[in-house]
Amino acid sequence: MREFALEVENLTKIYERRGHPPVRAVDGISFSVPRGEIFGLLGPNGAGKTTLLKVLTTLLRPTGGAARIENFDVVAKPFEVRKRISMVLQETAAELFLNVRDNLLTFARFHGLDSQTARLRAASVMEKFQIASYAEQKVQDLSGGSRRRVQVAKMFMVDTPVIFLDEFSTGMDPILKRAVMGYLREESAKGRTIVLTTQILSEAEELCDDILIMNHGKQVARGDLNALKLLSVGVYEISLTFAELPPGIAGDIAALKPLRSHVEGNSVEISLKVEEAKVLDVVNEISKKGRVLRVEVSGASLEDIFVELTKEK
Amino acid sequence: MGPLAAVVYRESKIRSTNITFMFFDLFYPLLYLLMFGVGVNAALGSPALPSGTDYNSFFLAGVLGMASFGIATTSSWSFFLDRDNGIFFEMLTYPMRRSEYLLGKVLFNVCIGIVQAVITIALGCLLLRVHLQWRLLPLLGAIVIGGTAAWFFFYAIFALRIRRNDVFNSVVNVSYFVFLFVSSIFYPLGPLPHWFRASALANPITWEVDLFRYSSIGLGVPKQLVWEAMGFVIFALASFAYAVRSLREQG
Repeated sequence: MREFALEVENLTKIYERRGHPPVRAVDGISFSVPRGEIFGLLGPNGAGKTTLLKVLTTLLRPTGGAARIENFDVVAKPFEVRKRISMVLQETAAELFLNVRDNLLTFARFHGLDSQTARLRAASVMEKFQIASYAEQKVQDLSGGSRRRVQVAKMFMVDTPVIFLDEFSTGMDPILKRAVMGYLREESAKGRTIVLTTQILSEAEELCDDILIMNHGKQVARGDLNALKLLSVGVYEISLTFAELPPGIAGDIAALKPLRSHVEGNSVEISLKVEEAKVLDVVNEISKKGRVLRVEVSGASLEDIFVELTKEK
Repeated sequence: MGPLAAVVYRESKIRSTNITFMFFDLFYPLLYLLMFGVGVNAALGSPALPSGTDYNSFFLAGVLGMASFGIATTSSWSFFLDRDNGIFFEMLTYPMRRSEYLLGKVLFNVCIGIVQAVITIALGCLLLRVHLQWRLLPLLGAIVIGGTAAWFFFYAIFALRIRRNDVFNSVVNVSYFVFLFVSSIFYPLGPLPHWFRASALANPITWEVDLFRYSSIGLGVPKQLVWEAMGFVIFALASFAYAVRSLREQG
């Protein structure tokens, strides 16, 4: 039998403000996450991802339904839940008046690590996140990206079984981001469960074992990448590079009513929902507009699926 | 390390990064006594006070009350800083209860309050010849602890419920003015107009300062002090309960 780190049943969070209609930020969401999995919560801005995360991390009480972390109910046993989680919030959260080392040590103390263990871990985590050279510098003197490193580095100071990451890669340079994604995979392989929200779909595509797409507080789709791709049968990505960008190509593309399109330099990228038999006709039509150097047709990416599933009907 | 110790560790780390601030924090009640107290004592004397009581001795209790009040406003403002830094909500996901978070903060403030009081009393006695009722010192210590905690919980409610820094600053400034001047901190209430005296007697800082005054120089009416002590305990407990509730509603 699979053991679940997270179980969410019909969870609802309604915000009520006097003089305003109630907002159903999370609307009857249900899912479960097995231990050691990297679980992605995706959705456009305002989809309810952060509210859901706040409920799961005991920051908010749900209006209805239930959620359990490592078998502890988030409402009935919030203290037990907090012992088992660590969280990176969407906004940069750091002790600005403390130096980098003390940020890590303070975090460790709250999680019950003894002083010696905390110091040893801090040294290795600072090396890992390339922040050792400014260990004694106050965080308020660091750039936004460096503060983010300190914030994410804290997750590696402790061994909580569940980690929540809300847009963890914001402000990180691509090299560090790649390294952190590697560290997250290592932690997951050790059995830690990671729940992340992101707007960067390539990140989710690369990292997540399982993905839940939300919109307007509701579940829109759920599954691993392959399962999600099946939901988007008939969506194709067409990529063309012209010798010279044909005039009026943007209008021609718009006439095809693509799910999304992107023109950069001499290259054009289009996502289309179209019958399989007609894909090559579309490519042929566009190719007539100018001399084509490269053509590529592929199935839907996570980005296409996301756009397809969350677009306003 | 338990959650309370972890909160105290964090607060002490933050406070110790700014030595100037730390110095001012510990010595400002004494400086108030040495500047304002000595000035009034020399220029105006103490005609409204019972015979044998000079203004410095009278004002010592006021300074101690003001100090506990001052620590509370500074610390409650730290909630805003934490919220601005984003660390506040992250801390609420740490393995501790909401009440432990508040108690840890108050424990640190009480430590600061005790050190402040020791410095103020010791140097007040040495430099200004304040005649302390030494036998009542344990009571005075208990009032320092209870007073610091009560005002911290009281201001924590506003810091947690008010979202805008400018609104909070206005509330603190107005309440600071009213609480301090409509009270027995600076002057005895006897000669004041009836409406002023009645307002001052309804002010929790008057209750605290009157208790300080009794436990420092033995001045006060026992029956009134008992009522004031009861009122202050209720004020402290109600503030604590409401502060914990306000913290639980964060998110």
